[in-house]
Amino acid sequence: MCGIVGYIGRREAADAVVEGLKMLEYRGYDSFGLSTLDTHLCTRKTKGRISECDPAFLSLSGNLGIGHTRWATHGVPDIKNAHPHSDCTGRIAIVHNGIIENYASLKKELTDRGHRFLSDTDSEVIAHLIEEHYTDDLLKAVEEVLPCLTGSYAILAIAEGNRRLIAARKNSPLVIGLGDGEFIASSDVTPIMTYTKNVIFMEDGDIAALSDDGVIIKNTGTEVVRDQVYIDWDCNATRKGGFENYMLKEIYEQPEAFYRSVHSVEEEGLPEVLMKAPSLSVLACGTSYHAALVFRYLAGAWCDLPVRVELASEARYFSPAPGEVVLAATQSGETADTITALRRAQELNCPTLAITNVLGSSVTRVADHTIYMQAGPEISVAATKSYIAQLAVFFSIADQLSGRKHRDALMRVHQVIEQVLLLDGDDSEKLCSKASSIFFVGRGSFYPVALEGALKMKEITYIHAEGYAAGELKHGPFSLLSEETPVVAICPEGESHDGMISSLKEMKARGAPIIGVGTEGDQDAEDIVDLFIPIPHTDLCGNILGITVVLQCLAYYTAKLLGRDIDKPRNLAKSVTVE
Amino acid sequence: MQAVILAGGEGSRLRPLTYSRPKALIPIANRPIIGHVIDALISNNIRDITVVVGYRKEQVIRYLNTLEIPVNVVVQEKQLSTANALLCARHEVKGRFLLLPGDNYISAASIAKIKDVDRGILFAEHPEPTHYGVVSMRDGYVRCIREKPENSLGYNVSTGVFMTSTDIFDDLEDQDLPEIVNERIRDGMKVRAVHAEEWWDAAYLWNLLRMNTAVLKSIRPGIAGRVSREAVISGKVSIGKGTTIGPNSTIIGPVIIGEDCTIGPNTCILPDTSIGSRVRIGPFTSLGNALIMDDVTIGSHSSCIDIVVGEGTELADHNSTVTGEHTFEEDGKIVRGDFGAIIGDRAKSAPFTVFRHCIAGNSVSIEEGRTITGVLPDQTVVR
Repeated sequence: MCGIVGYIGRREAADAVVEGLKMLEYRGYDSFGLSTLDTHLCTRKTKGRISECDPAFLSLSGNLGIGHTRWATHGVPDIKNAHPHSDCTGRIAIVHNGIIENYASLKKELTDRGHRFLSDTDSEVIAHLIEEHYTDDLLKAVEEVLPCLTGSYAILAIAEGNRRLIAARKNSPLVIGLGDGEFIASSDVTPIMTYTKNVIFMEDGDIAALSDDGVIIKNTGTEVVRDQVYIDWDCNATRKGGFENYMLKEIYEQPEAFYRSVHSVEEEGLPEVLMKAPSLSVLACGTSYHAALVFRYLAGAWCDLPVRVELASEARYFSPAPGEVVLAATQSGETADTITALRRAQELNCPTLAITNVLGSSVTRVADHTIYMQAGPEISVAATKSYIAQLAVFFSIADQLSGRKHRDALMRVHQVIEQVLLLDGDDSEKLCSKASSIFFVGRGSFYPVALEGALKMKEITYIHAEGYAAGELKHGPFSLLSEETPVVAICPEGESHDGMISSLKEMKARGAPIIGVGTEGDQDAEDIVDLFIPIPHTDLCGNILGITVVLQCLAYYTAKLLGRDIDKPRNLAKSVTVE
Repeated sequence: MQAVILAGGEGSRLRPLTYSRPKALIPIANRPIIGHVIDALISNNIRDITVVVGYRKEQVIRYLNTLEIPVNVVVQEKQLSTANALLCARHEVKGRFLLLPGDNYISAASIAKIKDVDRGILFAEHPEPTHYGVVSMRDGYVRCIREKPENSLGYNVSTGVFMTSTDIFDDLEDQDLPEIVNERIRDGMKVRAVHAEEWWDAAYLWNLLRMNTAVLKSIRPGIAGRVSREAVISGKVSIGKGTTIGPNSTIIGPVIIGEDCTIGPNTCILPDTSIGSRVRIGPFTSLGNALIMDDVTIGSHSSCIDIVVGEGTELADHNSTVTGEHTFEEDGKIVRGDFGAIIGDRAKSAPFTVFRHCIAGNSVSIEEGRTITGVLPDQTVVR
C-alpha cells in the first residue's frame, strides 16, 4: 500500500508532488521520496513522514516530477528501499504501488545481464527493465516492459530526454487529473482536487502519456478514449479545516455522511439480484466486518433473511453455496483480502456486489454491481464516517428488503448522532486512559457495536481492548475481570436490555468498574454502573448509531489524553492492499 | 484586507437554541448568521478571514469547512471578554483589519462603506439602545461609546464592526472593546462613525423572527425542487433541490425552503418563513412568520404562526400556536416579547398541543392535548 503522485505543467513539480503526497499519507508513511526532471533528474528520499519533513530538503527544480509515500511490503522501510527507484544510468526514475510477483526471477535475469540493484524492493526491476528498452521514447519503452510484469501495479515513470510522464495501471488505483495546461496522476483523487475536478479513472492495462499538450491513453497497443468524470467533492473535504486532526473532523461529519448514504441508496434502489436473494454472504475485514455483523442482526430482525458473514481473509477456507449472492464490503475498495475472496466467489458463479466509498476503486471493477456509500474522502487511518456510511448502506439494504417499512425513520436518525456529539464523557475517558485493558460488552445487535468500540480503542489508544458478547463473559473471560479492568457495557432500552442488566450485575460482583452506555433516565442501569453515558430515547438504528459514535468519541478523547498520534496510529495503514 | 470574526461566545440569552450551537450558527433564512457575515465580506472581496471560535467550536469549524473559501480558525479556550477573543487572533493579522461579530447580520453595503475608512465604527439605530454600546459622536467622529447604559438619550448603537489596526493589541488586557476604544479616543485617536446600511441582531429569541424577515427580503428566488402543477407560488420563493411541494399548496413569498423537504398537499406557507432541509410538513398545515430549522416534522392540520422551531423537533398533528405577549424578569427589569412559540431542538409534541406564546426547551416531550405557557426547561416531560 503506497501513494504515488506525478505532475507535469508549469508549476514547480516538487511543490505539487509534496502537497499531493501529504494528502496520500494515509496510504502509508514509513518513507517517501520524489524525483523531478529539469535538464537532469534529481531525486530526494528519506525515511519517515513527509508531513514532518523539512521543506528545504524537498525543494527540487523542474516542472515535471513524481513522488511516492511508502508502506513497506518488500524490504524494510529505509532510504535505499524508498521510491523513486532508478536504473543503472540514473536517467530514469519510477514510482510503483503494488506488488510485482515475478520480481525474483526478473531480478536474477537482470543481474545476470549486468544490472546493479541498490534496493531490496520488487519495484526496482521496473526501472532496470525500462532502461533496457529506452532510447528516446519512454512511452514505447514502458509499453514493452509491462508484458514482462505479473502482479499488480500503478507505475509512474519519467526519464531524461523525454518531457513526458508515463502512467500505467493494473489492479492498483491510478487517476489522472486534467488541468489547464497541467496534468496530475495520483493514487486517488484528493491531490488532484487542488488543480482540477475533471479526472479520468484509468482501467486495468491502460498506459497513459501525460505531456504539456495533453493525455494519450493506450491499451494493448491501441489508443483508447476514457470517460472524463467530474468529481464534485468539495476541496475542503480533504482539508483539516480548524480541527485538531482528521479523525475529529470526520467524527463530526458523520451525521451528513449517514444521511447522504441512506438517501442515495434509497433513491438508487437495489440491484434485482439482491432484492431476490434467498440468502446472502458478506465478505469483509476490520471495521467493515463489524458493519456486516450489524447487518446480519438487522436483516434477521427486519426481513428474516439469513446472512452469513465471513472475514475475507478466512473466506478462502470456506466456499459460498454456488449461486449465493455475495456482498463484499470494503471502504477503500482496495482491500486485497476482500477482493481475492470476491474473485473466488465469482469463480463459483456467485452473483457479486461491492459496497465501497471510492469511485472507480479496484473492487468496483471486480464485482457485478456496486453500491456506493457517500462518506466522502476519509484521511484518518481509524475509520469513523466511512463506517457510519457503511452502516447506512446496510440499514438501507435491510429496509428495502423489508419493503421500505423503516425508510422514514432512517431518513431522520442522523439527528441522534448530532445529539450524541454534544455529550461529554470526561470521567469515562479518564478512567480508560489509566487502564491497561478494557472490555466492551453488548448483546444482540450491540455485540458488533462492542467489537467496533474495542477495535477503535485499540487502534488509536494502544490500550488492549476486547469486545465480547455479554453472555460469553462467564465462559472464560470472567477470570480476567478485576478492579483494574474497566468494562464498557452497552445497555440501551430494547430487546437486549434485561439480559444486559443481569450481565452487569455479574460483572459488578467481580469488582470491575463499569461504564454504562444506555438510554437516558434508565434508573436500573444507572444504579449498577459506576459511570453512565446517557443517549437519547430512540429506535434500534438510532441506538446502534448513537452508541457507535459514543464509543468513537471515548476512544478519541482517551487517545488524546494519552497524547497518541491519532490520525496515524503506529503500525497501521488506511487500507491494506496486501494479503 | 483582512477580517477577524468573533464567534467564540455562546449567546446565552438565546437559550435553549444555543445549547447545541453558538448564536453565530443559528440559521437565518437557512444560512447561519456567520455565513451571512462571511458572504458580506466576500462580496467586498475580503477573503483573508480569521474566525475566533470557542463555545461548541467543533460545530462552528464543521460549518466553516463547508464554505467555498478556506477560512482561518483560532480557538479561544475560555470565553472571557471580547478583547480576550481578539487577542487570540493577534498573530493572524497585520496592519489594518476589520473586526466583526459573528452573531449579528451585517449587509455587504455596510461593509463597503467602512472598508476604506482608516479607523471607524459602524453604527445603526436601534429601538432598544440599552442592550448595546451607545455611540455618541460629533462631526462624523466617535466621542465615546457607553456600554449598556441604564438610560439612553440617543438611539445610535455600535454594531460591533470596527475598522482598526494591530496597534489595538498594545496594552490590550482583559477588558471590553468599547472601553479600549474610549481610552484611545481620549488619547487623541480619530475614529470615524459610519452609518450601517443594514444590521440586525437578536438580543432575545423572538428577535430572530424579525431578523429572519429582514434577511428574507434579499433572497434569490429559484425553484430546484418538484412543485405540483396544482400548487400556487407567488412572490419571492426559493425551493431547494430534492424538495417536493404537494398539490393545492399555496406559498406566498418571501419564503425559503431547503433541500429534500416534503411539503404535503394543501399546505399554506405564508410570508416571512424559512424552512430548513429535510423538513416534513403535513397536509392542511399553515405556517407564517416562521423559522423552521433542519429535520423538523410538523404534522397535519397544524397552524404555526410566529414560531421558531429547533433542529430535529417533531410536532404531531393538530398543533397550534397562539401569539401573544410573553414577559419575564431579567436583572430586575420586565422584558416583553410578542410571538407564538419558540421550541428548542429535538422536542416532541403529541397531537392537539397548543403553544401559547411560550418557550419550550430542548428535548421536551409533550403528551396529548396540553396547552403550554411560560418557559419549559430542557428535557421536561409534560404529561
